[in-house]
Amino acid sequence: MKKAALFVSLALAVSTLSVSYAADPAFPKLDTSKKVTLEVWSWVPGLDKTVAAFTKAYPNISVKIVNLGGGPNTYTKLNTALKAGSGAPDVAQIEYGFLPSFADTGGLVDLSKYGANDYKKYFVPWTWGQVSPEGKAVYAIPQDTGPFAMVYRADVLSKYGLAVPKTWDQFAKEAAVVNAKSGGKVKLGNFYSTFAPWFMALAWADGGQFFKRDGDGWIQTLNNPSAKKVLNYWYGLIKKGDVSTIGAFSADYWNAAGAGSIISNFEAAWGPGGYAGSLKDKSAGLWRAAPLPQWTAGGVVKSGNWGGSSNVVTTQSKNPQEATLFALWLNLSSSAITANWNNGGLFPASAAGLSLPALNDKTKNPSKFFGGQNINAVYAEASRGVNVNFQWAPWFPFANDNFNKQIDLMIKGKLTPDQALDAWQAETLADAKKEGYTVK
Amino acid sequence: MTALTSTQAATPRPKTRRSRPATPWFFLAPFLIAFIAFFIAPVCYAVYLSLFIKKRGGFGPARDVFGGLANYVRAFQDSDFLQSLLHILVFGVVQIPLMLILATALALVLDAVKGSASRFFRTAFYLPYTVPSVIAGLLWGYLYSKNLSPLNQITGAQTDFLSSQIVLFSIGNIVTWTWTGYNMITLYAALQNVPTDIYEAARIDGASNGQLTRYVKLPLLRPTLTLTSIFSIIGTMQIFSEPFVLRPLGYVPDNITPNTYLYLTVARDGNFGYGAAMAVLLALFTLALSGFFLRYATQGDE
Repeated sequence: MKKAALFVSLALAVSTLSVSYAADPAFPKLDTSKKVTLEVWSWVPGLDKTVAAFTKAYPNISVKIVNLGGGPNTYTKLNTALKAGSGAPDVAQIEYGFLPSFADTGGLVDLSKYGANDYKKYFVPWTWGQVSPEGKAVYAIPQDTGPFAMVYRADVLSKYGLAVPKTWDQFAKEAAVVNAKSGGKVKLGNFYSTFAPWFMALAWADGGQFFKRDGDGWIQTLNNPSAKKVLNYWYGLIKKGDVSTIGAFSADYWNAAGAGSIISNFEAAWGPGGYAGSLKDKSAGLWRAAPLPQWTAGGVVKSGNWGGSSNVVTTQSKNPQEATLFALWLNLSSSAITANWNNGGLFPASAAGLSLPALNDKTKNPSKFFGGQNINAVYAEASRGVNVNFQWAPWFPFANDNFNKQIDLMIKGKLTPDQALDAWQAETLADAKKEGYTVK
Repeated sequence: MTALTSTQAATPRPKTRRSRPATPWFFLAPFLIAFIAFFIAPVCYAVYLSLFIKKRGGFGPARDVFGGLANYVRAFQDSDFLQSLLHILVFGVVQIPLMLILATALALVLDAVKGSASRFFRTAFYLPYTVPSVIAGLLWGYLYSKNLSPLNQITGAQTDFLSSQIVLFSIGNIVTWTWTGYNMITLYAALQNVPTDIYEAARIDGASNGQLTRYVKLPLLRPTLTLTSIFSIIGTMQIFSEPFVLRPLGYVPDNITPNTYLYLTVARDGNFGYGAAMAVLLALFTLALSGFFLRYATQGDE
């Protein structure tokens, strides 16, 4: 029995690599005489460098990295390959929100069969809930997370004589000041109108929940009170012209952020890496990070999560044990976490990873871009404030796109924020039912 | 195309050759094998897939169960799908005539102008077609971007070319930009093939340049125009890359074209059965549309 052998080796073995890093857990030891090639689909920048350390520690396992591009591009190909029954990789990167829809295809290996549950204790608690919603089957190994904080242009803010907003109330007042004083040319903030997860993270910080398991079915509440509160708040700012509504990651957005016409935003922990990369020639050193504004002043900082991803093993993998080992190593070994942070700005899901020296290195990006501020400290605080009981549903990809439709109508003034959320709830619910889900 | 040439080659053979029926099959085999593998088989598979519906439980694998014609029934009740067909019909009715009129005009001008200028413009107009539609979409995406668009910067306007109300026109613009040159070349080639004695005869009869165009060139272009129209109808029904590339830049509706809608049904929602059903319906619809057009266009010919 291969499985039995794996468990024995799990109990006995300490890999050579883990000796050199005190924080590393013991990884499963495998039959080293067998030559194996793993294909990995991931859009993490610089992953090939990370993998070089892996192949050094496990010379019999070679890893082929395929970067098909971020999220949707990879999902389309993966979905098709899983349906076709061939062509899927051994390991793939999937964001938490999209994980249930892939579990739905039956194309993901339940990693608990390969001892994944033994590694639960090494991860930030809420991340495990994302990959193993029922506490039994494990559909993925958590990779990175996106707790929410605020990034802002310190120089422009002080030019207008404003302090870093600590509450949403203060943020709204300052947004009005910036808009008025600049004659409408500078906006304090921006609403990412085509990114549901961005909006959901803001509602998540307020305790909002959108999907929930309910026995064999689901409960969907896209129009929950937190969502309505958050959207009405932003709609007020949009209507007054105090914030802009430019799409995330667009040339338009980077242009505005670099030129100082959008001077703050709410970004996940992987966001600052994007700022450091996209704006490296513009406004470097002028940005800072601060905790998310709160609805009530004082108390513990509450935050939500945007994005973050996990690594799955597909049922088409001929070497699921090795693939599981790779997924664990990639997200728990201090060498990999360090490299992923340095090369791709991945904020680790590993609990020990949060205190790694590299993450707190102020001389390197993204901290360097942020004027030498240890922005990781801000994000680590945010990570501790993320609500743990947040769930996604398999039809989230549909909800994700339908959100854009309703928000488009809202921005045009055809729907109120409440109507937009009610329509989002109603249309998504109708589609989920049509697709055969038991949901109410 | 291949089907036509093959059968045409086979029919004029003398009847005496009937004694050796294996020969034509031998020459037809490569085509037939490819035709079956890449055309008949996928179509059959799509029809087969379209008969299955997805059954799901909670968090975990879904099952495909036989659903008969359920997916087809769903398509006819799906307002999003029907609306996507309406979108593409409106698009075709506006864009195709516009593009073909433009292409015809360009072809006539090029036909009238001789020398190196003609060669330069021929290449210049054709060039956009050599840009793959995905790249064209990306390029135009920048030009359409609200705050970066040169058009907005010159006019000082704040037009959002990607807003859902006008995005169909923005796509139409990309398609016209890409395909006008292609159609122009086809029409130009047809004009070049006209024997010069026809023109000479017209001239002797005292035809002016305008009359020559109106009464000689345009009627001679008619079969080619029919052909380019059919290709344009088929092409329009398949529009996918342009809207899809524009999607991340702003809000482009899921059902802006039938193909984006059925692609999302399959690739995003994982519903292969329903996607296949819509694909079959779309194919039938395209066939009907081209058929009607062909009948209408060739009405007076007999």
